[in-house]
Amino acid sequence: MSDEVLLRATDVVKSFPIRGGKLGTKKVATAVNGVSLDIFKGETLGIVGESGCGKSTLARCLVQLMPVTSGTVSFKGEVLTGRSRRQLRDTRRDMQLVFQDPYASLNPRRTVGDIVADPMRINKMGTDAVINARVADLFKTVGLDPSYVQRYPHEFSGGQRQRVGIARALSLNPSLVVADEPVSALDVSVQAQVLNLMSDLQDEFGLTYLFIAHDLGVVRHVSDRVGVMYLGQLVELADADALYDEPLHPYTNALLSAVPQLNDGTEVPRERIVLSGDVPDPADRPSGCPFNPRCPSATDQCRTEVPVLLEIRPKRFVACHHPLTF
Amino acid sequence: MSTNEHAAPVLELTDLSVSFSTRQGLIRAVDGLSLSVGRGEVHGIVGESGSGKSVAMYSLLGLTRDANASITGSVRFEGREILGSGDKAMQPIRGGEIGMIFQDPMTALTPVYTVGWQIVEQIRQHTDLTKAQAKARAIELLGEVGIPDAKRRVDSYPHEFSGGMRQRVVIAMAMSCNPKLLIADEPTTALDVTTQAQILDLMSRLRDVHNSSIVIITHDMGVIAEMADRVTVMYAGRPIEAGPELDVVRHPRHPYTWGLLGAVPRIGERSERLATIAGNVMSPLDVPVGCAFAPRCAYVMDECAARPPWSDGDHRSACWLSDTQRVALRRKES
Repeated sequence: MSDEVLLRATDVVKSFPIRGGKLGTKKVATAVNGVSLDIFKGETLGIVGESGCGKSTLARCLVQLMPVTSGTVSFKGEVLTGRSRRQLRDTRRDMQLVFQDPYASLNPRRTVGDIVADPMRINKMGTDAVINARVADLFKTVGLDPSYVQRYPHEFSGGQRQRVGIARALSLNPSLVVADEPVSALDVSVQAQVLNLMSDLQDEFGLTYLFIAHDLGVVRHVSDRVGVMYLGQLVELADADALYDEPLHPYTNALLSAVPQLNDGTEVPRERIVLSGDVPDPADRPSGCPFNPRCPSATDQCRTEVPVLLEIRPKRFVACHHPLTF
Repeated sequence: MSTNEHAAPVLELTDLSVSFSTRQGLIRAVDGLSLSVGRGEVHGIVGESGSGKSVAMYSLLGLTRDANASITGSVRFEGREILGSGDKAMQPIRGGEIGMIFQDPMTALTPVYTVGWQIVEQIRQHTDLTKAQAKARAIELLGEVGIPDAKRRVDSYPHEFSGGMRQRVVIAMAMSCNPKLLIADEPTTALDVTTQAQILDLMSRLRDVHNSSIVIITHDMGVIAEMADRVTVMYAGRPIEAGPELDVVRHPRHPYTWGLLGAVPRIGERSERLATIAGNVMSPLDVPVGCAFAPRCAYVMDECAARPPWSDGDHRSACWLSDTQRVALRRKES
């Protein structure tokens, strides 16, 4: 990991219009609400949060699969937001995605060889022979037998399909790979294989990962830094070890305490904090801090003033009026 | 753990096997599962997809409605044999004496009736309460599982609840007739961790209050560690290890259990590499005659061509490794 910023997001907001309660009224659901972050070259930035917290929407906004409502995203020093599709084409090659569902993200009517070759064909990366040789190479890289190129996705297991998805993402030599829940559909033994593969590929090709997942154990395992999202906002961002060992935001603390632990004597037991209630509706956000209705240490200030993400200690960012102390 | 666990078990499975004849051949979905669940005890069944854990539970309830299925063995509930009893005999048991919690709370509830209607229907099926009494009981139950403003919410439809709240409704329904046994099939898999914590907390509380026994099926070793008193690990339809939860988690005996525990990324520590189990979960058509795990096992030996017997004692496993070999291998690994 270096100090070179690969991707910078500044105050990114994404909202979706939704049908209001009364006829003719318009409401908006704000899925991402003012997120600013940097992704450094060569690092893995993990984003965790519960369903509906806006982590996937954020990822889509960062790679310009979705236009942002406001804010800017820049990649390698160039501003991407506001560019046309044509202007984005060259940049897109450099940012690739791995999706959650290896069943839905591969075209069932094309062979896996074609699926991996297509990005290279579209970008005219060479003759058929060159591309086919590279497909065979990529298959070996991700641990698949190159003789499988003529097979169809349904002939593979979930873990193997995810390897095909990873090979496709690598085919254009991207610098940034955005992985949105890449292992959540896999069984635990297969999940470990795919996580190990992703970390080998990072070392081999110097990749930068934005890794999105809801599983806190998986995120800690892969990430150098971790951001925690709640209701569209980044509530905490820090080095993975610091964040897991000493969470500063009460939500991070509650989230970590909720993970069932194997008490095999290797882990320090955490005191369970059971949060009451549910995540609020993003179309009907509470005033002040988004977490205040469920926060055990909420005060009047939390109910009125929105906390901003501040660097309260070196490399530790937290958006809370009353961060925890250790 | 309850004090009277050595009393007659609430549920006792002996050599339960479920197989399906398909065009491709015979699939042994469950192959020789035996376990016994004491009163107030939580028994965890853990395994990856296709290990037969759900099929085993559906079959014992008589919910496997497939003309090509053949179910053998014995299932004793409260001392009575229930395997093979017809629907008429099973109806008072299902939903009455045995409550069920399913994985997906959206499909477990019918979207066209209010949740109150659904709970009332179940209560009236199993008791002689009047409609009004049953409704009052439904409100009481919804309150008990932590649904705020239960009096008003009883008339809501399933889609008006969040995932966690819906799962609470399903639990309220499962608890409605004070079942002696609760079968929970992946009850928290569809939920977020903070909601999962709420639901697990609730299930433990209900166990403490009503002294119900629980069979919890899951793929998550963390949930097992949190909830279970005893655990059975399944692989390819066969039980491969069983014993008290702490023994299995701290001193796993079967190489599959080692792999399963090593593959879980922990929140408390960061290891450089996760332990993996080579290969993929096999197709149920290709399960070998010998040890089912042999094709993926790093320590496979000649003996593994024959099916390993179940070892004796409280913490049992089905593996040909001797205790000395096992200790040596474990030491070498760590």
